[in-house]
Amino acid sequence: MTFVTLERQPESSLSVPGEPQGETVAAPDKQWTHVAEFSLPSEPGNEMQAMQMVATAVQELDLPAVSLERLKTAVAEATMNAMEHGNHYQEDLPVEIVVRRSDDALAVLITDQGGSQVIPEPETPNLEAKLEGKQSPRGWGLFLIKNMVDEMNIYIGDSEHGGTHHTVELIIKTKG
Amino acid sequence: MAQPIFEAKVRLAGQRAIIDMFGEINAFADGDLNAAYSEAQAKGDADILLNFASVDYINSTGIALIVGLLAKARQARRDLLVCGLSDHYLEIFQITRLADFMKIYPDEQSALQAA
Repeated sequence: MTFVTLERQPESSLSVPGEPQGETVAAPDKQWTHVAEFSLPSEPGNEMQAMQMVATAVQELDLPAVSLERLKTAVAEATMNAMEHGNHYQEDLPVEIVVRRSDDALAVLITDQGGSQVIPEPETPNLEAKLEGKQSPRGWGLFLIKNMVDEMNIYIGDSEHGGTHHTVELIIKTKG
Repeated sequence: MAQPIFEAKVRLAGQRAIIDMFGEINAFADGDLNAAYSEAQAKGDADILLNFASVDYINSTGIALIVGLLAKARQARRDLLVCGLSDHYLEIFQITRLADFMKIYPDEQSALQAA
């Protein structure tokens, strides 16, 4: 599992949702093929739709059931984070999702539309502290995502809606 | 707006309360799940079995709700048992270390037999 945060990459070096072809910063040596893209309003519960849409889009890849379930959880959590922390559940701010594939990997890019807040590095939650009431029981999202995919990258750039956008790139290996 | 799709029902098996959960455990499940836990704690006087056999989705907020139930159970000195998790959610219970604090059984029958 690799976790990389890249801040303020120039737009030209990022393939943001809406540009279906191209290469990502994370794996410039790979040739990515566009599979699908979606846009969803930031409404509570829409992460389920995101999860189902990605699952349908990757159906032809015939992923093992374990990988598919992990991908679905990672997509749902990343979409929920984008809606809640990036877009603050403003329905008019969409979450954009792009699915790409290469010879040996699948990438899902999830982009919010605002917020200068830096996404924290995922930490292992302290379950004992949560059970003792010393910490909030919440705070599992990034940790779950990190454990569900082979690689997670975060890009920060300027949003066309003003402010900053975050793109979370989830990569799972489809070979090896 | 997505509709909440969760239900929790409490029943007794001997002195043990069983919470049967249905649907999706996410933020929408908060009220019903905690109400079911309170009912289970009041009804039974042994450990409490959470039955996930009819649960098809748990997100990070759902994990937080289960952490909250576990905290309540520990405070009340009651064990929380778990059954009916799919392989995927069993993996998540292991990754989150919930499995270190809850006895996990494949199904209700094995949970009741073991206790």
